[in-house]
Amino acid sequence: MITRREVLKSAAAPMIVPSLVLGQRAGAVPPSDQIVFGGIGIGARGAHVLSKLLTFRQARFIAVCDVRNERREEVKSMVDQKYGNHDCQMYDDQFALLARQDIDAVLIATGDRWHTPLAILAAQHGKDVYCEKPCSMSMEESWALADAFRRYNRIYQAGCQRRNGANFELCKELLKSGALGKLQTLYANVGPSVNWPPLPSRDWLAAEEPPPRQVLDWERWLGPAPWRPYNSAYVRGGWRNFYDFHGGGILEWGSHTVDLCQWAAEFDDTQPVEYEPVGANTGPYKVLCKYANGVNLVMRDDGWDGSLKTGSCSFRIEGDKGWVETGDATRIESSDNIKPLLRPTEPASLALVNHVADLLRCIKTRQAPSASAAAAANSHITCHAAFIAYQRGKKLAWDPGKREFTNDDIANRMRSRALREPWRV
Amino acid sequence: MQQTTQPAPAAQAAKPKPPSPPPAFQEGDIARMDAPALAGVLTDARSTEFQKAKACQRIGELGAKEAVPALAALLGDEHLSTYARYGLEPIADPSADEALRAGLSKLKGNLLIGVINSIGKRRDAKAGPALAKMMYRADADVAAAAAAALGSIGGESSRKELQAALGKTKGTTRSAVACAALLCAERLLGEGKREQALALYASLSAPGMPQPARLAAMHGIIREETSINRPR
Repeated sequence: MITRREVLKSAAAPMIVPSLVLGQRAGAVPPSDQIVFGGIGIGARGAHVLSKLLTFRQARFIAVCDVRNERREEVKSMVDQKYGNHDCQMYDDQFALLARQDIDAVLIATGDRWHTPLAILAAQHGKDVYCEKPCSMSMEESWALADAFRRYNRIYQAGCQRRNGANFELCKELLKSGALGKLQTLYANVGPSVNWPPLPSRDWLAAEEPPPRQVLDWERWLGPAPWRPYNSAYVRGGWRNFYDFHGGGILEWGSHTVDLCQWAAEFDDTQPVEYEPVGANTGPYKVLCKYANGVNLVMRDDGWDGSLKTGSCSFRIEGDKGWVETGDATRIESSDNIKPLLRPTEPASLALVNHVADLLRCIKTRQAPSASAAAAANSHITCHAAFIAYQRGKKLAWDPGKREFTNDDIANRMRSRALREPWRV
Repeated sequence: MQQTTQPAPAAQAAKPKPPSPPPAFQEGDIARMDAPALAGVLTDARSTEFQKAKACQRIGELGAKEAVPALAALLGDEHLSTYARYGLEPIADPSADEALRAGLSKLKGNLLIGVINSIGKRRDAKAGPALAKMMYRADADVAAAAAAALGSIGGESSRKELQAALGKTKGTTRSAVACAALLCAERLLGEGKREQALALYASLSAPGMPQPARLAAMHGIIREETSINRPR
């Protein structure tokens, strides 16, 4: 497979830049060359991604689908205001949006429970996809996701935008160049657990009278998640921390930071073989993992912006000659011998712009983007395995090839979740 | 060299906590019950919907085959059917397959689709003949689910049924059959049945097939013909 880096080096690769770089009149793209997008489940995070997408002349956004009327209206207003028209179409049924032949790609930013089923449906309808993370609710969904996008030869970009963040890329470069020496240990911040603890609740909230269907379709909102009575707190974002909707802090944070570790170490095609939870229920916790080649991965609750204050979603690489650590503050901390090799990096806000540009470029070239379905599946499986080990409260051994735990039958039964009818992956 | 440094984002305050679950909706001791006790929750007339739901999920994790009859009894419950399948899907015992298969003739609509989906996930080949007939149901959603399950089950019997259905179905059902046939082709490749898989890809790549499946089939042929693992 050709990597994104190789494509970027190619003179034939199309140049994808936001219109703000070109000015308002320059760089016009004929409609026939534009990538036409629809969106499903665009809330606050999705609107942030959409705001970046709308800056690219190579993209055009024409339709939104949501089970919440107010969300549909908000997105339509945002898009219509950008384009100066009233053309953005609204849907409450994802199949109606996916059936549109004029839509090339779909932005999916629903709750986690919908991510994999919707992405696979989009692939089956011939669409390319940008999907927010966490990308899957189980190992089984991760495998199904990767299989579907390989099967349909569609482009998938997970919302792991730090893969296109300059400070993170520099850390990877320092490892690859040998400056850090032989890789010893990767650290992924999966905290703070005060926001999203590692063990989500299996309880239900009290039943409330659901709003009229035209305001909110509760059945569709639940989607593939098991039935439970309506409570408005779920819909207001309180669905996180409930097991049926959420994979806990390990998946919430690890889908960024574990993903960064696997990407930086070029372990995008595998997972660790050992998972040992430490400190469960006694404060900041860790899950100690080991890859088959002996490299360690430490998932740790290191607080919101890391103990070295490098910002949220921090990760650290330790080799036998030096170490680096960075996060969303973009500053890179390192061992003294590495400091002369550091250089200024871009603002963190550009990571998402670069990530969207990466997607658009790959849709044109049909090359794998930085956070492909296969890469995202593997990093998510690592998170799911750690989450299962945490729930089991014991050290688990994992065989990536056989896709099974070799020392715990219960853990193996936790690799998948039943989806509410009629949904499947 | 001086780095461009941005201030670290202010430490985010803890998210506002959602309301606390009422006692009636707290899992509590169910999380620590053994298999017989969990099965007892399902059969106890005093158990609430919530208690049964949680017991089903824990039964699935324990793989408790003694709970299969109690789980099967919930497959027709609109709220608890998913939970019943949550329990049944991971149970390795053949009695779980039998319970799901029995549901094929008892259930309708979405509950039937759920059972079909679970059968597909478990790859229960004994359900093949019943699923093959269901591909021709008037309910397009049931027909699509049956096709998907056959594709997941895979094997020569499924291949024949799906290939036949490609020529006999229309619209969304035909699209679902095509998607299922793609998966079936991959199953065949996994079993070393390369010629059958390529024949299925060839059928799917014919003019008139749903375009996404047609392109995927062509991609499948190219992928297989150019595989570096295959002797030339």
